[in-house]
Amino acid sequence: MSVVRRLSSKASSIYNIPRAPPDRILGLTERFNSDQNPLKVNLTVGIYKDENGQVTTLPSVARAQTVLDQHEELNTDLSYLPISGSADFQSNVLQFLFRESAPQGAQYLDEDRISFIQTLSGTGALAVASKLLSLFVTKTAWVPDPSWANHCNVLQNNGFKDIRPYPYLKNGSLNVEQWLQELQNAPVASSQSNPQCIILHACCHNPSGIDPSSEQWTEILDTIHDLNLIPIIDMAYQGMDTGDLYKDAYLLRMSLDSQRYCWPNGLFLCQSFAKNMGLYGERVGSLSVVTPPDMTLKPNIDSQLKKIVRGFYSSPPGYGSRVANVVLSTSELKTQWFEDVKKMHSRLQSVRTKMAERLNWNCFSEINGQHGMFLYTGLSPSQVGILRENHSVYLNSDGRLSLSGLNSSNIDYVCDCMQKVTDGA
Amino acid sequence: MSRTIFNNVELLPPDALFNIKKRLTDDSRPVKVDLGIGAYRDDSGKPWVLPSVREAERLVREDPSYNHEYLSITGFTGLTDGAAKVLLGEESAALKEGRVASVQSLSGTGALHLAAKFLSKTCPEKSVYLSEPTWANHKAIFESQGLQTATYPYWNAATKSLDLEKYLEAIYSASRGSIFVLHACAHNPTGLDPTEQQWTKILDAMAANDHIVLFDSAYQGFASGNLDKDAFAVRLGLQKLATVSPILVCQSFAKNVGMYGERVGAFHVVLPVPETGVEVQNVKAAVTSQLAKITRSELSNPPAYGAKVVSQVLNNKELRAQWYRDMETMSSRIQKMRHALRDHLVALKTPGNWDHIVQQIGMFSYTGLSSEMVQRLEKEHAVYLVSSGRASIAGLNSGNVEHVARAIHEVVTYYSNSKF
Repeated sequence: MSVVRRLSSKASSIYNIPRAPPDRILGLTERFNSDQNPLKVNLTVGIYKDENGQVTTLPSVARAQTVLDQHEELNTDLSYLPISGSADFQSNVLQFLFRESAPQGAQYLDEDRISFIQTLSGTGALAVASKLLSLFVTKTAWVPDPSWANHCNVLQNNGFKDIRPYPYLKNGSLNVEQWLQELQNAPVASSQSNPQCIILHACCHNPSGIDPSSEQWTEILDTIHDLNLIPIIDMAYQGMDTGDLYKDAYLLRMSLDSQRYCWPNGLFLCQSFAKNMGLYGERVGSLSVVTPPDMTLKPNIDSQLKKIVRGFYSSPPGYGSRVANVVLSTSELKTQWFEDVKKMHSRLQSVRTKMAERLNWNCFSEINGQHGMFLYTGLSPSQVGILRENHSVYLNSDGRLSLSGLNSSNIDYVCDCMQKVTDGA
Repeated sequence: MSRTIFNNVELLPPDALFNIKKRLTDDSRPVKVDLGIGAYRDDSGKPWVLPSVREAERLVREDPSYNHEYLSITGFTGLTDGAAKVLLGEESAALKEGRVASVQSLSGTGALHLAAKFLSKTCPEKSVYLSEPTWANHKAIFESQGLQTATYPYWNAATKSLDLEKYLEAIYSASRGSIFVLHACAHNPTGLDPTEQQWTKILDAMAANDHIVLFDSAYQGFASGNLDKDAFAVRLGLQKLATVSPILVCQSFAKNVGMYGERVGAFHVVLPVPETGVEVQNVKAAVTSQLAKITRSELSNPPAYGAKVVSQVLNNKELRAQWYRDMETMSSRIQKMRHALRDHLVALKTPGNWDHIVQQIGMFSYTGLSSEMVQRLEKEHAVYLVSSGRASIAGLNSGNVEHVARAIHEVVTYYSNSKF
């Protein structure tokens, strides 16, 4: 190491790498962590916190962990899971989704038409689905405007070339008419042999919390079906809409109605246990591809999904899926889980109600009917900036506020600050 | 007209390695032996949770702050910092000078995939050189990101030894600044590593040609039983290339911590000593941001549980000492099985020389059995290995090693007789 040689020009090409912009949501958490204000409140990330502001483990999940700890045969094997994930997880989750949440799915299961893999939660499901679609089916996707900030990033990084926003809101309210018009008037139409896909939020639209009614969904699904679009249902908040896990799967039930729809290019369900089981960081979720009635198809899709996973990460992480398995397959724990979800939901609802009492804002009005973990405040990016810089209250720049970060110790402070910002004080 | 565009989707053959496990499960014969996948088994053929890991799990779960909150996109810093130290060395100049960007990955495959995607964005025109032979998944990982792969000679089948001369020739004939994937230790599948002198020659040649080295470290500790000793090549590479080129390091804790299914690993980009006027911290931040963007688009943030456990093992002094002992336990058992298998084959007078089984290191032996022989082993004797003839020695134990030796004996004899 005595002679320091000149760097070759080739080697230093690494110095040309530009800095990628920080992630819009998770980047804020980093700033929050370095904020010195003792009153600071983080309302950015969608993690459930209890009344004391703590991230706790759901009782059902905690009990499942104890079961795992105490059963020798459940915790002595840390071997690789199969590429497509644990077989128990597959049967438990398929049962939960396609027989219990959406009984319409039973027919597809019985006909062995659902290709399934365990994924790294919702993002992992979307990533693998995007890769499969972009490799073989389409590079064009419709995404609601607004949508979860990471949707475009996932699609782009996994091969999509043409990402088209469809208008979802108009002046803070849902605008189905304009949405469907946009799809119908697309310059290049989707067709059965040259299809495009469309991302649909199953419930608790992120970030707005505003979902179509079931009449509106019928109209939407009819149109999507007529236009030969491939539905990608992103179901990240099952249970957080009404507090009832089964009830919230309504979009899945509607789209699996075989009397009304056949999806000749498949239907994709990206599902996550991050929020409803509180397994955020353990990355537990699934991708189901409901294939058309052609016996030769499913094995092909299965094999390609495995190839993608083998190239990305070989096999999914075990721990979280073992916990989910115990919850899903132990009837007592499953009942407890339903209770846990109900409890989370009702706390979020009471926060929403308290805020509505304090702030007479449009986002609390009946017509808006916001659902889920978030409040879409309608605050502008500059107002969000003032909240952050002057008051250390952190919202996403699109005005999305995570309700679970509020509790009796900080709700007054946050409401006051929000009022001040809109008053221009 | 095709009813559906999905008809274009081609049916792929099942993954060779993972499919073995499936056939094995379906096999109803009473004695069956899995020498396929590289996973450690104890002497009763059972998966073994390392005592250090067991204790780390307890500490993680009993920590009052334990919860399932998301990790950051780049992962758990206790893991990534600890991982960098255990491989690059506590005293690593690169670490002290802040030249290492580290992110958590889904074990070795996830790290390699990050490397491939990162390279395809930053230098898509470069070729990636892989050893011939190499781990079955290497080629697919790089090619699926649009990178071109090529091979460099490594194994001389005739002498069952390293073909250093041809290896060095390949380093010199590759265009300057190419990417070379090197197995940090316990080469998979051959179980043959360069000696320290050979590593010096290889890495000098890499430096002389401005190549970018990617170390794939999946078996640290399995070659010699000693974690530091097995980091020799990586640490030497860091010295030799410090002023030449960046080094990429893909690190897996699947095998040496025995948490295969928890997918714990790290990807490190070691930046060279910067030219004057270049602020290395800015480059490091830029590289990290690009890696974070990739992770965000594929899994948002890496899995937490395994990361926390491994971080305990790496950062808790007593557990780390225990882990070093666990490593010795595993590698010495494997070593014992190598000798047992060789000795049985010699005693049976199986045609051929079987010394390479004890000379090779790590988890595998590149037996030299042909793919027909491998097929017959499975069909007639329920002994499963991959068609290349690679056997995972960790699957042997005192209860089955004789059965395996007799099986190999029968198969080798069968084919050598049928030739005449």
